[in-house]
Amino acid sequence: MFIFDFFKKKQSASVAKDRLTIAIMSDRKDSTNYPFMDEMKAEIIDVVKKYIGVRGIEIKKEFDGNFEALSIDVMLEK
Amino acid sequence: MGIVIAVISGKGGVGKTTATANLGLGIGLNDKKCVVVDFDIGQRNLDMILGLENRVVYDMVQVMEGEASLKQALIKSKMSENLHFLAASQSKDKSVLESEKVKLLVTELKESFDFVILDSPAGIESGFEHTIEFADAAIVVVNPEVSSIRDADRAIGILDSKSNKVKNGEEVAKYLIINRIVADMVESGEMLKSDDILDILDIKLLGKVPEDKGVIDASNQGKPVVLDKKSIAGQAYIRISGRLCGQQIDMKDIEVSDSSLFKKIVGIFR
Repeated sequence: MFIFDFFKKKQSASVAKDRLTIAIMSDRKDSTNYPFMDEMKAEIIDVVKKYIGVRGIEIKKEFDGNFEALSIDVMLEK
Repeated sequence: MGIVIAVISGKGGVGKTTATANLGLGIGLNDKKCVVVDFDIGQRNLDMILGLENRVVYDMVQVMEGEASLKQALIKSKMSENLHFLAASQSKDKSVLESEKVKLLVTELKESFDFVILDSPAGIESGFEHTIEFADAAIVVVNPEVSSIRDADRAIGILDSKSNKVKNGEEVAKYLIINRIVADMVESGEMLKSDDILDILDIKLLGKVPEDKGVIDASNQGKPVVLDKKSIAGQAYIRISGRLCGQQIDMKDIEVSDSSLFKKIVGIFR
């Protein structure tokens, strides 16, 4: 039983690491609140509008491993 | 012109105020002029840790409101003539802080001190945002424990979006202090290793502080543990303060307990 307990305990720090990594990744995804976000959206819309009608825009921050990216969706007018 | 450092944590109770007091005194003992400011309005505590609670006449809010001069409000520590302290207001609440007034205060302090250390309130509310707003660097204090680390990540996120330096396109330097490390538990895999914490938070390490009963003893007396050269936490704060003052001090591996088998085996071959 001692050995069983030993191994069970040994894992708690790595369990913590795994859980934290996932929780923090999900926290970061939720916080796309760059202070410049609204301003940037408006500017992108202005640029695209010069060429084609725009209905709306959505910008999301995305994570893939060590990479962070901005995913920008511009909805066009029909 | 001095450097402004905000000490932040996200979660409360991780030893942020203790760290502020010890770094302030440690820097003072390194012959650098340092002022520590308690930004935790309504929950004044830094005065107790520094043993200065009986000497507070004016607080930082009174200075910002023009009711007292900085000179009147600054308290010089008896433990180091280089260390000065500015108390938080106990009667007001955190909403009293205004950006412009904080900026004026911080700018004035920067002119006369090498280090301006701001002890941030816990949480990520307005009081916290005002503490980081005009900081050149931030020291994040965590415990090797999940809730502390997660909350620290949130605080870092806000630091990265709300600090003035970031808004101006510069980077705000961030350093981590891991506090209350228990070597035995790290060795047995029951406590997160500092390398893992650094990986998760993606931040540079400033220092590791071991769990030490002497910290409570020190706060009981109002004498920061950095003065106690026998205390392991005190020694850790001496190293960290030295690093802040530009000394090259190797990171001591406090995650190995003295009794560990590995050390004993190495000892045989020495």
